[in-house]
Amino acid sequence: MSHRASRVSRTVLLGALALVASGCLPVPVTEQGRDVASLYDLFMIAAAGVFVIVIGLLAWTILRYRGAPGRDAQLPAQTSAKLIFEVVWWTVPTLLVAVLAVLTIGVLNQVDARAEEPDLVVDVAGYQWGWEFTYRDSGVVVNGTAADPATIELPVDRTVAFMISSRDVVHSFSIPNFLIKRDAIPSRDNRFDVLIEDEGTYSGQCGEFCGLLHSRQVFEIRAVSPDRFDRWLADQEAATP
Amino acid sequence: MTTVEQPMPDAQRRHVLKHADDGLIGWLTTTDHKRIGILYMVSAFIFFLVAGLMSLVMRAELAIPELQLLDLQTYNQLFTMHGTAMIFFFATPMVIGLANYLIPLQIGAPDVAFPRLNAFTYWLFIFSALIVFGGFFVTAGAAAFGWYGYPPLSTKTFSPSVGADLWVVGLLLSGVASILGSVNILATIFALRAPGMTMFRLPLFTWNILVTSILILFSFPVLGAALALLFIDRNFGGSVFTTAGDPLVYQHLFWFFGHPEVYIIALPFFGVVTEIVPVFSRKPLFGYKAFVFATILIGAYSFSVWAHHMFTTGAVSTVYFAITSFLIAIPTGVKFFGWIATMWRGSLWFATPMLYVVGMMAMFLIGGITGVFLASPPIDYAVHDTYYVVAHMHYVLFGTSVFAMFGGLFYWFPKFTGRMLDERLGKVQFWLLFVGFNVTFFPMHQLGIDGMPRRIGDYAAERGWNDLNLLASGGSVLIAVAVLLFLWNFWTSRSLGLPAGDDPWGGHTLEWATSSPPPHHNFTSLPPITSDRPLLDLRVRGPVRQGGEPVGPSEDERAGADDGGGRG
Repeated sequence: MSHRASRVSRTVLLGALALVASGCLPVPVTEQGRDVASLYDLFMIAAAGVFVIVIGLLAWTILRYRGAPGRDAQLPAQTSAKLIFEVVWWTVPTLLVAVLAVLTIGVLNQVDARAEEPDLVVDVAGYQWGWEFTYRDSGVVVNGTAADPATIELPVDRTVAFMISSRDVVHSFSIPNFLIKRDAIPSRDNRFDVLIEDEGTYSGQCGEFCGLLHSRQVFEIRAVSPDRFDRWLADQEAATP
Repeated sequence: MTTVEQPMPDAQRRHVLKHADDGLIGWLTTTDHKRIGILYMVSAFIFFLVAGLMSLVMRAELAIPELQLLDLQTYNQLFTMHGTAMIFFFATPMVIGLANYLIPLQIGAPDVAFPRLNAFTYWLFIFSALIVFGGFFVTAGAAAFGWYGYPPLSTKTFSPSVGADLWVVGLLLSGVASILGSVNILATIFALRAPGMTMFRLPLFTWNILVTSILILFSFPVLGAALALLFIDRNFGGSVFTTAGDPLVYQHLFWFFGHPEVYIIALPFFGVVTEIVPVFSRKPLFGYKAFVFATILIGAYSFSVWAHHMFTTGAVSTVYFAITSFLIAIPTGVKFFGWIATMWRGSLWFATPMLYVVGMMAMFLIGGITGVFLASPPIDYAVHDTYYVVAHMHYVLFGTSVFAMFGGLFYWFPKFTGRMLDERLGKVQFWLLFVGFNVTFFPMHQLGIDGMPRRIGDYAAERGWNDLNLLASGGSVLIAVAVLLFLWNFWTSRSLGLPAGDDPWGGHTLEWATSSPPPHHNFTSLPPITSDRPLLDLRVRGPVRQGGEPVGPSEDERAGADDGGGRG
């Protein structure tokens, strides 16, 4: 029995490890995204602990206290509740949840922080079914449709503020590699700031269901060095009539 | 004062004899809570099959990128109606059906408080479902804006189809049916309990249904208000939720209903599990009062967490709703530990109901844990509206509620019909469902983390979502086979199953103290009720003295010797 129990607990442990290993977020490429990823990792550790303990307890109970089938089998001792157990399992989850809440609030402040003077402000407008990006200081506008999605460039190492709105229904401005999204709601402005740290091409997509071509309301962000970005912006500006 | 024998009055006896009408008319005109319960459960299960079929079509579409078996508009209708049907026409009525059948039996009552209202409620639910599904037969098709129908997308400008109006009206009526049903159940529990059945001797299933009914009573009227305003916006020039008004108000109203609704279709199934675990552990429930308190607490908290569905709107207090959402994990965890402690040092019998219940616990653990992730706004910003949420939601609604439902159906089918479902088929079905469910929904966590949004009828091949989608679609076939196996088992066991007798499992609660199926007015006699488990007491304490007083210490003496942590 105990041999079987130990085999089960080993399997449970391996399963939990596989769970942790597989449940990884996409590589975050922004300063804020890295904060979210490390918060996620802490949650994952807590989750794996809870999972292993509870499933282990359940599995051990199942193996250890298996009885005979049938309605007339002998009754086991009719034990009653113990206060100490009740106290423990009201207290332990409360403490765990309190720790998670404190960790959450710390990261939340980082992620929701808004620069007083961002290096770059981009107005993002969602519509059925595309996105329009307006670079506020230069007036450069890039827009796209479902058939021809927008591609924009952004600089790394500069704070970028996205001012998000919608022209018709609710959309959601979402970039998986940034680990963030914000709804684009008509009659209401939304904002989030990022500091991109890694150069690369990142796809984005509408997050909130918005009608027929929701699945094709995509866009692409190319994060480049500040110098290259300035050149790109100047080119766009020159191309604008 | 309870008595061992309560002779049936002559009037009742004549009624029993008169009620031999098993024909179609008998079923259509019935006001018997057991028949209405069965009508509810069978109808709900049919909607489960219909909505399940829709999901199979969707999984086929998503198996391979750029497949386009369906056009996008049809896909959008399918996921809208899948969610709507599963929530409003399967899960909620399945709860009301189980409650209808079991509550009067568990509290020792002859019927519900208002039998005719009960029949009316059932037919209103059927008509409301037909109205919503009628959307498929109008020119522009059924509603296609997701089961929570956010405006402005759901306004006339963006969703002109009559199908959308049918959706609004149908849900409004189904809400009225749910409210009337909950009033009936509450009145039954408060007014019709047998002598000796005090509130703290109610079986836990009944307690969970009681709290659920209160949730229905407070949440469905809010949904009704939101839908009525949406209907006015759509058809009479209103602008409450249009850009001239505020589309976000709808989201608040909807989720003020929507989050309690999650518990409306979870608590009753926690109740089912809390009934099954002690019976198949052959022990009393560990910490009865803690379970009651946790149930009430979950119900109360469920009204304070709604805006965690709206973290990404940037228009709600994320800190407040994160903390309330975290808090709900505590009483839920307490229930979990209570189940394990009940099994601890028991004598576990792994008949099919218990198998489903243990499966439910494992799935619910995963669904609960991912729920804590989603309660954290920074993590929610990353995975909100992705397949991660689809995975979480199905672990809670399918892995928890549907697994517990199958456990409950295997457990109570003998009571409903007098015959057993086939145990061997039941176990095969369980393993198929368990494997199929996890193969389908576990990969969705990773898909969501990789950024795959929910509600897309297509995705680009180069996004790297292909393999896991194919895997999930494969798993859905196993689920379908498992459900077909249940249908076969159900169909054949109705007439060919082993005779069940009154109490095939050694049940603890009053429904097992009458025949299977029970006579029209349920009981010819009741055992003494001195705890939440009168039948187990009979077995533990042995024969009853003349006058109905059980041998051995009374419940009060036992409770007095307890350490206060609830009854043993």
